[in-house]
Parts: sequence; structure tokens; C-alpha cells
Amino acid sequence: MPDWRKLVRERMPSLAVNSHDVVTELAAHLEEAYDEATARGFDGEKAMAFALQQVPDWRALAENIRRAKQEKHPMNNLTKKVWLPGIAVVFAVGLLLLILDRAFVLQQVIWWTCMVMLLCAARSEASRLNQRTRSVWLPGFVSLTAASLFLFAEELVLAHDSSFYFTDISLRPDHLSSGLPRSFYVGWLLAQVLFGAVAAYLSRRAGGSHRARVLAAVFPAIVMFALWALVIPASALAEHNTFLWNHRPYYLLGVFVWVVPPAIALVAGAMPFLRDVQPVQA
Amino acid sequence: MTKRIRSKITRGSGELAILSLLAEQSLYGFEIAKQIGERTGGALQFTLASLYPLLYEMEKRGWVEGRWEANQAGRDRRYYRLTATGRKQLAPLREEWRSFFRALDSLAGVSHA
Repeated sequence: MPDWRKLVRERMPSLAVNSHDVVTELAAHLEEAYDEATARGFDGEKAMAFALQQVPDWRALAENIRRAKQEKHPMNNLTKKVWLPGIAVVFAVGLLLLILDRAFVLQQVIWWTCMVMLLCAARSEASRLNQRTRSVWLPGFVSLTAASLFLFAEELVLAHDSSFYFTDISLRPDHLSSGLPRSFYVGWLLAQVLFGAVAAYLSRRAGGSHRARVLAAVFPAIVMFALWALVIPASALAEHNTFLWNHRPYYLLGVFVWVVPPAIALVAGAMPFLRDVQPVQA
Repeated sequence: MTKRIRSKITRGSGELAILSLLAEQSLYGFEIAKQIGERTGGALQFTLASLYPLLYEMEKRGWVEGRWEANQAGRDRRYYRLTATGRKQLAPLREEWRSFFRALDSLAGVSHA
């Protein structure tokens, strides 16, 4: 006789539904289905398959049970009165500065403040988020925010070094030709390991699949790729900057340096969290 | 028919089926699924995956109440019984479905009788 409770626990690792009563009840249902199949003359293997037909998608079941048990509540007060108005004000100020093209550093501070506040709002509403948001987007956003803040902090620390301006994505020729400070890049790369680990850990904690954990971990690299593949060429076109088109190897090197090694570092950080945690027996 | 409408009809019919069964006696999950299948000639079938999210939703709304008891074989099972709130839902739900079938009948000759 299979250990139905163990089977249910293994297939529904999401903490949100891994309660003793739910596991026991679902296990009892599978056991009854199994018994019915054996009573019909099925052998053990076929009876097991018959019982498991009851659940075509365990992840979907876990999510449906989580939703069914989740108490519906309106947006909480903290989100309504603090986070959302705060984000709106900060976003508006950031937008205004962007339009006026003033105070580059202040713009960045405002932008990252906005991201951090968004994260706080999401955390505040965590129980209302769906599985994909909790296991992919939120961990990915945490990792992206951390990576971006780290980059920004490095920029501030290394601001006295003229070569640091390589990081300016407007790709002006004098900036690109200046080269990249090694300490800046190595520091950035090492930090990715930590951010990848954090994202994968958060995704696993939210019941994310292996794919979701990897996706959450490499999220900063995906955004960086989008930046290089779309924003930078578009910006160069808008500014009639021909450097990009005349120096394609530089551009391709930039894409490689800012996307591939960071992606590898992020995945390396995520590796310990790609293993499933054995659930504790109740 | 869009997937959303179909899903709402399936869900609505499931709620009515469960409330109607539990109005007669307390049952545990497997028995509920089995009896619905048997009594509808297999037209309405519940698997574990479709039954429990609905049961938990109904429990959250206070329509049904689950309690652990030993069944005839001495195994612990969670028996569901109808609450007073659930009983109040039954009549309007039945009426809703009657109206639905009447409407379908007048439109497409689909009789519920």
C-alpha cells in the first residue's frame, strides 16, 4: 500500500496548502480510489495509476486549494494609505525630472525608491498574489531591484573614476572608449551570485517549480538583455548616434559582458535552491 | 460558449449537487464524488482535483462544515454537513437552475424535465 500522505506532500510542496488536514484528506481520497480500483480487480500498479488520474495537475490543485482557502479581503490599509500614494508621488516626481532631463542621480534615487516601494506594496498584499507572481515575478523583481541598487551604489562609489562612465547606457563614443574598471565589473559579477540565490530561495519558498526558480534568478540578466537589445539601439537611433552601427563589435561585446557572465553567476547562485526541500512529516 | 461561462456553469452545478446531497446526509469527500457520479449516471463527475477546491470554498463561505470522524471501516474521514447558511442557499440555487433550464428550453428546446 503506497504512503498516500507522503505522496501528497511530495507533489504539493507549496507551503500555503501543506497543512496537516488538507494532506490527510486528499491522501484519504486517493486511498479510497486505490481501494476501489483493487476491488475491481486492478493490480497494484494499475490501481495506483487509477487513483492518480484523480489529479492531472498537482500544481494547479495546490493553487486552487490555496485560493479556495484564502480569505478574501480588500486591499489592506497600509497599501492603500501609504504604499500606493507614495509610489504615485515618487513616480510623478521621477517622471517630471525625466521630462526636464535634470538631476541624473536624483532621478535614479527616485526610480529605485519607487521599485522598493512597489516591493513593499507587493509584500503587503502577498496573500492576494497568484502563484506565478509569488514564484516568478516577485522573486525576480527582488533580485532585479537588488542588482540595480548594487549597480547604482557602485556607480556612486566609483564616480571619481572617469572610466566609470562606461556604464552610461547612452553609449557616447568617448564613454565607450574609456574601458571598464575591473573592480566595478568583478564586484557586480560576484554580487549576481547572491542575487540569484535570493531569487531562487524566494521562488522555492513560494512553491515555484525548477523552471520558475531559474527564471526568477536570471531575471536581472533578462532585463539587461532587453536593455541592450531594445533600449540602447532605440536610444541610439533617436539620438542619431552612429557609434553603435559603426562599432558593432563594441556593442556585441557590451551585450556579452552585461548579459552572459551575469546570467551564469545568477544561475550559479540559484543552484543550491534548485533542490527540493523534503517536507517535514506531521 | 466561452471557457469562463462553461467554468461558471460547472461550478454552479457542482455547488448545487453538493448542497443537495449534504441536505440528505453528512458525507466525506470520496462519498460525495461517488454519489454524484452514480446518481447522475456519470453525467456529472468529480475528481479529487475538482471536488476539494469547491468544498473548501463552500466551507469558507460557511455553507458546509467539515468534521473528522471515523467511517464504517474505522478510518478517519472528514465528513461534511450542511450548515444553516448552506441550507438557506439551496432553495435560491435550485430556483436559479430551474430558471436557467426554462430559459434554455424556450430557446433551444432543452428541457430539464
